[in-house]
Amino acid sequence: MSEQGRTRRRLAATIIIVVAIVAAFGVRLVDIQVVRAEQLSQESEARRSIPSPLYGARGDILDREGTVLADSVFRYDIAVSPQFVKDFTTLDPLSGERVSRTVWQGISDIGALTGEDPARMLAMIDAELAANPDDDHAYLVRRVSTEVFQSVRELGVPWVYFQRLPSRTYPNGQVAGNLVGFLGTDGPQTGLEYRVNDCLGAQNGSSTYERGADGVRLPGTTVVQEEAVDGGTLHLTIDADVQWFAQQTIAEEGARLGAEWATAMVVRVDDGHIIAAADWPTVDPNDVNGTHPDNLGSRAFTASYEPGSTIKSLTFAALFDAGVTTPRDRVIAPRSYPTVGSYRIGDAWDHGDLRLTSAGVLMNSSNTGTSVLSERLSLQQRFDYLTRFGLGQQTAVDFLGEEPGTVREPDSIDGHSAVTQMFGQGMTVTSAQVASAYQAIANGGVRHPLTLVTSCEHPDGSSTHVPAQEPVRVVSESAARSTVDILESVATDGWLRSSLQVPGYRVAAKTGTAEVAEFGSYGDERIVSVAGMAPADDPEFVVITTFVKPDTMKTSAAAAPAFQSIMTQVLGTYRVSPSTQPATRYPLTW
Amino acid sequence: MSALASPLAVPARPARSAAPRAVTPVVVTRAQRRARPRVVYAGVAVSGLFVILLAQLLLSIVLSDGAYRISALQTQTVVLDQNAQVLVESLDTLRSPQYLAANAESLGMVANASPAYLRLADSTVLGSPIAAGAGAGVLDGRDTMIGNVLLADVGLVTPVPEGEAPGVAPASTAPGSLASPPVGPAPSGALPSPVSR
Repeated sequence: MSEQGRTRRRLAATIIIVVAIVAAFGVRLVDIQVVRAEQLSQESEARRSIPSPLYGARGDILDREGTVLADSVFRYDIAVSPQFVKDFTTLDPLSGERVSRTVWQGISDIGALTGEDPARMLAMIDAELAANPDDDHAYLVRRVSTEVFQSVRELGVPWVYFQRLPSRTYPNGQVAGNLVGFLGTDGPQTGLEYRVNDCLGAQNGSSTYERGADGVRLPGTTVVQEEAVDGGTLHLTIDADVQWFAQQTIAEEGARLGAEWATAMVVRVDDGHIIAAADWPTVDPNDVNGTHPDNLGSRAFTASYEPGSTIKSLTFAALFDAGVTTPRDRVIAPRSYPTVGSYRIGDAWDHGDLRLTSAGVLMNSSNTGTSVLSERLSLQQRFDYLTRFGLGQQTAVDFLGEEPGTVREPDSIDGHSAVTQMFGQGMTVTSAQVASAYQAIANGGVRHPLTLVTSCEHPDGSSTHVPAQEPVRVVSESAARSTVDILESVATDGWLRSSLQVPGYRVAAKTGTAEVAEFGSYGDERIVSVAGMAPADDPEFVVITTFVKPDTMKTSAAAAPAFQSIMTQVLGTYRVSPSTQPATRYPLTW
Repeated sequence: MSALASPLAVPARPARSAAPRAVTPVVVTRAQRRARPRVVYAGVAVSGLFVILLAQLLLSIVLSDGAYRISALQTQTVVLDQNAQVLVESLDTLRSPQYLAANAESLGMVANASPAYLRLADSTVLGSPIAAGAGAGVLDGRDTMIGNVLLADVGLVTPVPEGEAPGVAPASTAPGSLASPPVGPAPSGALPSPVSR
């Protein structure tokens, strides 16, 4: 009994112990595998897998010929895992052997390639480690170019890693910098970059990768959660070459005249496409801080001013259209024209009663003659014509910060302004609006909405932002034709004929010298402009140049050389057929 | 029969146990002989197994080799993309109008501001042909006033800067280079040609 009983007890004890151990393991197993399974696997995943954003490329901005005005490129941040920084071995590309390198050697190599101070980088790593021994991330150098990134990567330093960042470059610098705008650190800041961000903007995706114990990225572990979507390509009507020429011309002329600022616009007559919209001074989007903040936008769209006599072309087209006068109509332009109270309208030069035809009034730019004729239109008609020419409202471009200008309503306008408004004083316009109105006159009275953006082409092949082309008839074709013919006499017989003519082409143009209202009255300052079209027999391009507050010359003669220079360049660039038909001439006096 | 059998009935057991001693030749039928496993079958089965294993091994070697090549080519694609981006970036900067104009100017190129056209239909010269003068450059000796910080470090192309092509590494001669598609036979029948009436 005793022998057998002891054996049995020992057996029982062993079984109990084994069962207890198995039960303990079982409980632990269930605990790990079932109860805390999710939490633990998340923890382990988080320890190995590192989230990494995927950047989509922002869309390019192209001119009409496909020249890149704004380009998406990649720049690279060189980062380091401070906790893994130690001596390392690397493969010598020459001998093919593994050589060991110290931390200092590694940092010095990176410094030599990036131009950073290695001592500063090392001190920074030490500081990061002192703050947090498990620190995983610190930037060594930010935003290096692709070449630098490639050479640093070839060093094979195991604790250095790279982050690819989308960046923006503007290969043409100041050319169209006024229109394109730029990107700041927080995204688009101005211009088309800001206005058309819904086209250009990319959607970032997300991905994760796994990392070994030594901090090295494990190949083949990248998991993409969400693909990045690239932005659309924006196509503009701008021609970068003409844009450059226009900018260069107004910059030279503006500097020569001591003007405050200047704009020039080139518009194609057939469809209202803006070939060039130049501003001076302007911004280089690569170096935004290099210019005054006032110069960041495009004054051709955002600055409204009293234009002066260039508006007379619109008035005469309206007068002819309404049938209240004809080019041969005989008018007496008085020395001065009384409006309301003691207000009187005079001309730029002193004269007695002039016996001018309507054509002569426009050609000689007589304010009093224009006033006499304007009174033949009702207040409502005057307002309607100016509005149909596109004044007093933003153009179809809808540029960022675009000014609508002012045309005063017939029920609130005073008797004096109702007349002066017809020759461009007491109302304001932008250069873009004048260019658009002249496009209508050049196009047989049909105004096409100004167009700057033709389309936004998305990566999936679809297109958006295609402007709706809804031409408006402003005046009759014959009224527009008569106006162009008279404007041609400005270039053939006017006092600026020598500086408005383009050899081989008939040019039609109107000058404007507007007084600038400052502190409630008109002072010495002037805004001079020339707006015109060529070839006059079948206009293809409208050009307008405007110089604000020139110092050395305060007449429209200041704006004429730039007009002629730009018009010559445009006609040559687009191989416009020279004029062959003789001009229609109207009698100017009687 | 039973009389003979009864005396033998008792010692029948030992007699039976002794019975196998008498070796009787086992006659194997033809069918049985055929059913017996043969060594050659075993050999075929085992060697077949080895062939399969070997094939599997070779297949996986080839596959993994292909995977390495795919990986290497993908890496190469990334590097080439980066190089292309770098080159396009510098090309776009170099062909900006202000750089071209400054170079044209430095080379003494002039522009004709008054071009003329010859109309072939009636041999008429359109426009007013005027020869461009020596000072008819686009900039005409003036400085370009349209800045571009990207061109700050880029000098003008002087007349003899030959042999300074940007450093592009020669294309690596990876195995399996792309062969140009074979040129098929010329399509018989209509060649594309302008329609004349």
